[in-house]
Amino acid sequence: MDNIKLQLKQQIIEQLNLESVSVSDIADDMPLFGEGLGLDSIDALELIVLMEGNYNIKLLNPEEGKSVFQSINTMADYIAKHKK
Amino acid sequence: MQTFIGAENIISPLGITAEENFNSIKKNKSGIKQVEKIGFGKEDLYLSKINEENPKNFFYYLLSQCLQSIIKEAKPRIIEANDTIVIISTTKADILENLSSPMIQPVHQLIKEFKLKHTPIVISNACISGVLAMNVANDFIQSNTYKNAFVVGADIVSDFVLYGFQSLYAISDEPCKPFDKNKKGITLGEGAGGVLMSSDSTVFKAPFFEFVEGTSANDANHISGPSRTGEGLFRTVTKTLKLAGVDKENIDFISAHGTATIFNDEMESIAFDRLGMTNIPLNSLKGYFGHTLGASGLIETAICIQSLRNNVVIKSEGFDEIGTSKELNVLTQNLETEVHTILKTASGFGGCNASLIIRKL
Amino acid sequence: MTNYITSYCHILSDECWVNGKKIALQDSDDDITKQLYNYLEMDYPKFFKMDRLSKTAFLGAELIKNNNLALLNYKDDEVGLLFSNPISSAETDLNFLKSYQNGGMPSPALFVYTLPNILLGEIAIRNKWYGESVFTVSENFDAAYFLSYCNMLLNKCQEAVLCGWIKNNETFLFLVEKEDVNQLNLQLSLEQLNKIYLKKIK
Repeated sequence: MDNIKLQLKQQIIEQLNLESVSVSDIADDMPLFGEGLGLDSIDALELIVLMEGNYNIKLLNPEEGKSVFQSINTMADYIAKHKK
Repeated sequence: MQTFIGAENIISPLGITAEENFNSIKKNKSGIKQVEKIGFGKEDLYLSKINEENPKNFFYYLLSQCLQSIIKEAKPRIIEANDTIVIISTTKADILENLSSPMIQPVHQLIKEFKLKHTPIVISNACISGVLAMNVANDFIQSNTYKNAFVVGADIVSDFVLYGFQSLYAISDEPCKPFDKNKKGITLGEGAGGVLMSSDSTVFKAPFFEFVEGTSANDANHISGPSRTGEGLFRTVTKTLKLAGVDKENIDFISAHGTATIFNDEMESIAFDRLGMTNIPLNSLKGYFGHTLGASGLIETAICIQSLRNNVVIKSEGFDEIGTSKELNVLTQNLETEVHTILKTASGFGGCNASLIIRKL
Repeated sequence: MTNYITSYCHILSDECWVNGKKIALQDSDDDITKQLYNYLEMDYPKFFKMDRLSKTAFLGAELIKNNNLALLNYKDDEVGLLFSNPISSAETDLNFLKSYQNGGMPSPALFVYTLPNILLGEIAIRNKWYGESVFTVSENFDAAYFLSYCNMLLNKCQEAVLCGWIKNNETFLFLVEKEDVNQLNLQLSLEQLNKIYLKKIK
């Protein structure tokens, strides 16, 4: 599980061009949107692409993404449950 | 000095003249049709498309045909005059045919085909390109830089643009329903629209109208999400009214942008509410033409000019029940009434907003 | 009506000049945009999400602003933006195309930068500027366009206009105001514009 989390952080930093952020800046329970990491609506869509590209997990729409993309923890849980 | 506007043209699935297009939408006929397996995931989607498969150089064909039609409605040879400029409005031109420089080649072709004295100006400013192109034309005319401006906008439906909007989850799986409770997003369209603008009223063969004023304003908020307060749209309309010296009470009709995305339509309703203009009859024409991007401002303004000619404003196709937080007077049927002054607005990615006012003389 | 070029800058492939004076960048293999970001000691995470076109325009605007702090005294809708380039958003267009052509999914983050006027939005957001803004595509630097449209906007509703020609390795920005606030003694004219544009562009 910790491996997935570390991998996720690296993938997020790369895919979302968060050049000024390092893996250690992202806590597992930190909100990804708003006050926490400060991601925005386009980032949310890009996370859907990331899930499909890297984990072969299809999210139907941004609404579904809202609960999945709350934090690294929720993302890792979702991946563990749905990875094919 | 006044700027006059007329000689309007539209090329869409509904016809190749402004009149043909106006007569179709007056019967509430739409150019939107289902196209099989067109989406990125091979989904069937709705589009307002002229041909099933576009012929080669279709973008240039649209531009030159549209310009040709305007020329026919203008005094002979003014297209070749030294005080004439051509202004082109497009977002992507023929991006898949010419990826490295999609806009410059058509410019060279136009210069050659129409023997232009000046290199056309290409406005590429997302979905406000068409309205902005007319505003720029007006500024050039008012400052005496040029006397005449042929303003032509065109965009074509491509996988590039369709897949892009799909990646934003912005494409509707049914024909778009601007401002409606059940709206599900954009329907894309293609086509061309154009007008002639001039400080010399003798260049028009048919009756012409006054282009009163036009301005733009940025939201300064987000590059892809519309401002939640409608800031840029509020500011550009306020500025246009002020510079035009027109009271909002004198606006008979608003041709809104209305893309049918939740955030855009909501933003427009908030802006018109702040402007105190929610009672003015309003429509979006996207239910007839789809969202034709860089052509939309010109196609929709050409329809406004037709409304001035015919004293009919057209119902907002796809609209049944208001779906924005602020009430708007969205037309549910055509309205036959004396129309004197029209406000046209547009908003787009990059936080851009533009507006213009045209009226009868 | 006389208007003045009150600041200008050139951003080339590995050097940058402001008002004709070369900026002392540290030796680095980084891209010029990254070097300038560091030079300006910026802390603006959104910068890294921009495409190269937006980054270049954005940095040019920052350099001019640093040199012309009075710009911040204008009202928020009194600064206009006129930008232009020869290839629209071609670089990002290609990257977006690649994102979906080889089995991948179309990238939303790339798609939003497939419009060249996004750079106007980036500058407007950074500075909270709500003024007029226009993006045009032209084959070459069109001094006549900038000259006439600047004068028009200053006459109509703007107090300052920031102009930019954003081309890889030969970006040129200049600020036009009604007073010669920096006393560069550069009246806005066709000759003057072409002269300072060509100063660093070979």
